[in-house]
Amino acid sequence: MRLRIIAPIVTGLLMLVLWEAIVRAFAIPHYILPGPVLVATTLVADWATLAPALLVTLRITLQALLAAVVVGVALAILFSMSRWIELSLFPYAIILQVTPIVAIAPLIIAWVDDVDVSLLICAWLVAFFPILSNTVLGLRSVDRNLLSLFELYGAGRWRTLTDLRLPAALPYFLGGLRISGGLALIGAVVAEFVAGSGGRASGLAYRILESGYQLRIPRMFAALVLISFAGIAIYLVLSLLSHLLLRRWHESAIGRED
Amino acid sequence: MRLLGVRDVSKAFANGVQALGGATLDMEAGEFVSVLGPSGCGKSTLLRLIAGLTAPTSGEIEWPTGKPDIGFVFQEPTLMPWATALANVALPLKLAGVSRADRDARASEALGHMGLQGFEGNFPRELSGGMKMRVSIARALVTQPSLLLMDEPFAALDEITRHRLNADLLQLWQRTRFTAVFVTHSVFESVFLSQRIAVMAAKPGRIVTEIAVPAPYPRSSAFRTSADYAALCRIVSTELGKAMPAEWAT
Repeated sequence: MRLRIIAPIVTGLLMLVLWEAIVRAFAIPHYILPGPVLVATTLVADWATLAPALLVTLRITLQALLAAVVVGVALAILFSMSRWIELSLFPYAIILQVTPIVAIAPLIIAWVDDVDVSLLICAWLVAFFPILSNTVLGLRSVDRNLLSLFELYGAGRWRTLTDLRLPAALPYFLGGLRISGGLALIGAVVAEFVAGSGGRASGLAYRILESGYQLRIPRMFAALVLISFAGIAIYLVLSLLSHLLLRRWHESAIGRED
Repeated sequence: MRLLGVRDVSKAFANGVQALGGATLDMEAGEFVSVLGPSGCGKSTLLRLIAGLTAPTSGEIEWPTGKPDIGFVFQEPTLMPWATALANVALPLKLAGVSRADRDARASEALGHMGLQGFEGNFPRELSGGMKMRVSIARALVTQPSLLLMDEPFAALDEITRHRLNADLLQLWQRTRFTAVFVTHSVFESVFLSQRIAVMAAKPGRIVTEIAVPAPYPRSSAFRTSADYAALCRIVSTELGKAMPAEWAT
């Protein structure tokens, strides 16, 4: 357990030291590759510019994730209730998933007047599919005998859904949620890049573009670091949520007994 | 008083498999009957038909005094892993709309009858195989059904646990006198438990003979080692051998 935390931290620190050493030893100019110390100081110095941008990106990411959960779970329930709806709609969900977001983002940004809403739609498009497909799988992976038992005691479809199918689908849903958390951030950043090249956004990706144009490479790195940390934070929060919900009963959350 | 009549019932599945072909069985109220047969002879299908979980292709399931409350015990414990032992046992009551306090009290009592007081708050994964099966039986009995259907409930357990559960099941049956249909592929288990044994043959599944087990209750562990028990087991084994397909008799 201790090794799990110490090993990656030591590796990370060694890489940072090596990076700083290389930058100094070869006197690499900061507009080509800034050292970690410069990136850190820039992060502090430019905090007033970067923090609002981080909040914008985080807000879009979380809103998109929330929308992905609502739409994904609702569609999954509909699919599990009606084979017809599933057969009619599922292929289109797959088409939405496999179409590269970079390719459709310009269209969405052109069609939707409000930049925030268009970014939200892009991030949602990327994020919702893992939740949908995992939840559909979970709702179907119900013990056949438990279904028979519910039938024997006269439980209706609604009761079977709330008391049997949804709890059985929870571990699958949480697995999808963890994937979607990262994807929502990627979707938001990609959409910002597309929107930012039209000069209409204010998130972290826009700051990266802007810094690139202005050759302020240390700030670009600082923004990049913030995006990575945001992604890690989202993953950790969702993992914690998953652990708390499953720890008493699901195999995935139970440590091996020594 | 006759509780149940299985009248010349056949069941063919959509894939063409003929699971049952003309099975007939009568049950008196309060009787303990075992259905004994080789695997794949349609024993489980017969139980599902009686429970109303599937409909016969032909023939009839008769309920002379009306269809009673039914409890069902599967081969696996079939518990909800996200729910505590108490919540699992209370499930049938919850589905029947019984209030929270009432169903918890009754579920707790049912767990107590199965020797599981103190384990109300445990999740299935925290219980042993035998304890999970006890929870499963408590759940089947919590509604105080007049008919208990059991589908090889102890087949996956070790022999020591199985003997204890056999004894506990008989004790519960003597106390409350539900009607029991017990599916098994064990000659020894069927002789120990039941008043009557219906022997099934396969392809198509049907009941070929019925054997009465005249030994009195209560049956203690001493019964297992008695000469009567051995003699009965021999008779039932012989009948089961006759019911097996000819190519097995080598």
